[in-house]
Amino acid sequence: MPKRERSLQSIPRDDDRPAEPTANDLLALVARGDEAAFERLYDHVSGSVFGLIRRVVRDQAQSEEVFQEVMLEVWRTATRFDPGKGSANTWILTLTHRRAVDRVRSAQAATHREEHVARLDTTRPFDEVSEQVDGRLEQRQVRRCLGNLTDLQRESVLLAYYQGYSYPEVASLLGLPLGTVKTRMRDGLIRLRDCMGVTG
Amino acid sequence: MRSTSAELHTLTGAYAVNALADTERTAFETHLDRCGSCAAEVAELTATASRLGTAVDSPPPPHLRARVLKAAAETRQLPPRTARVPRIRRLREAGGLLVAACLVAAVVVTAQGLGSTKDSDTLAQISREYSQFTDFLSTPDVKLVSAAGPDGATGTAVVSASRDELLFLSRDLPEPPADRVYQLWFLDAGDPRPAGLLPATGSAPMMASGVSGAQKVAVTVEPQGGSATPTNPPMMVISLV
Ligand SMILES: [Zn+2]
Repeated sequence: MPKRERSLQSIPRDDDRPAEPTANDLLALVARGDEAAFERLYDHVSGSVFGLIRRVVRDQAQSEEVFQEVMLEVWRTATRFDPGKGSANTWILTLTHRRAVDRVRSAQAATHREEHVARLDTTRPFDEVSEQVDGRLEQRQVRRCLGNLTDLQRESVLLAYYQGYSYPEVASLLGLPLGTVKTRMRDGLIRLRDCMGVTG
Repeated sequence: MRSTSAELHTLTGAYAVNALADTERTAFETHLDRCGSCAAEVAELTATASRLGTAVDSPPPPHLRARVLKAAAETRQLPPRTARVPRIRRLREAGGLLVAACLVAAVVVTAQGLGSTKDSDTLAQISREYSQFTDFLSTPDVKLVSAAGPDGATGTAVVSASRDELLFLSRDLPEPPADRVYQLWFLDAGDPRPAGLLPATGSAPMMASGVSGAQKVAVTVEPQGGSATPTNPPMMVISLV
């Protein structure tokens, strides 16, 4: 969605309405305490934020808790966002992923997860993503680019990102040495980066 | 902390998908501050990973919207960071501004500066013991400060304002309780800033970046993984000014 707006911004519009602000613009306003901008930013990013949390945490009630914490943290720490280090979307989703993973790694969840790992012999994160694809441009691109990865690259990246596993956990699930998993994650992301044309 | 630097360079991917254990993450973040190529790669791979997040978009329950907006309206935002200037000297002038009400239990020993031979000897000894930090320890403006903690434990910090870094070493620190870790904090006029988790192996040294502006460093006991703000009173405080 940010892409569409960027192009809109550069094209003068007939009706003289101001162009939609990007997430970066909104976050800069939020940093100055602008509550109306926060409301618009909420509408912008809440779907991605909640979707990612739900994906990693699974449990609906816990996902809602983490979601509220994350959105409030976006508000509270917007002053620390540095546009020189990446986009607002990346900043928010990185924060989101960190909090979602913190939640599933917390001591309370530990026992659950052991059972979960034991049951996980046939995880297919790629297929699960495919099921959710509803034809939106960004999702189709992600899906297409994931198809360019080797199986091990794809599984290493997706088990870490969507299941919140650490790389030693991924190594144990895939029966690979630690060093191999580290390099598969890096190689896989580099291939995705090149396929999606991400510049950071 | 034991990874060689060649191994560290391959951690960019695991870092971007948040797959590192906490101690490794802290070590890698220290590395990132000095390795431009890793930092650039991490920025790109993090942006790439966040596309995977956007791809699983799903709207939150509508009633959360009003709740979040209300909570935001009632929550004070963090103050922005101010420009980082080397300023140990300026801090000395700023003197007594620091509020440290909750720090009563800790023993505070003030900086000696590097005037004394004893400090130079200590630095030389640290440098011999941990040759990987020789480069840092020979920075012209390093300053050595130390403090005592409970039960004969000691903490030593070597600070370089020009590099904006601090090397922390502890001696005889008791094992943290089960599922707990020691966390280091920078204290200044604002909220305590997390400076990293102490290595699990007792007295191993750790580097922390972002020391500019800090007037003290403190050690607290925190849950596994560390905290965003301290949840316990400090067991050791070292004054840097
Ligand atoms: Zn590097």
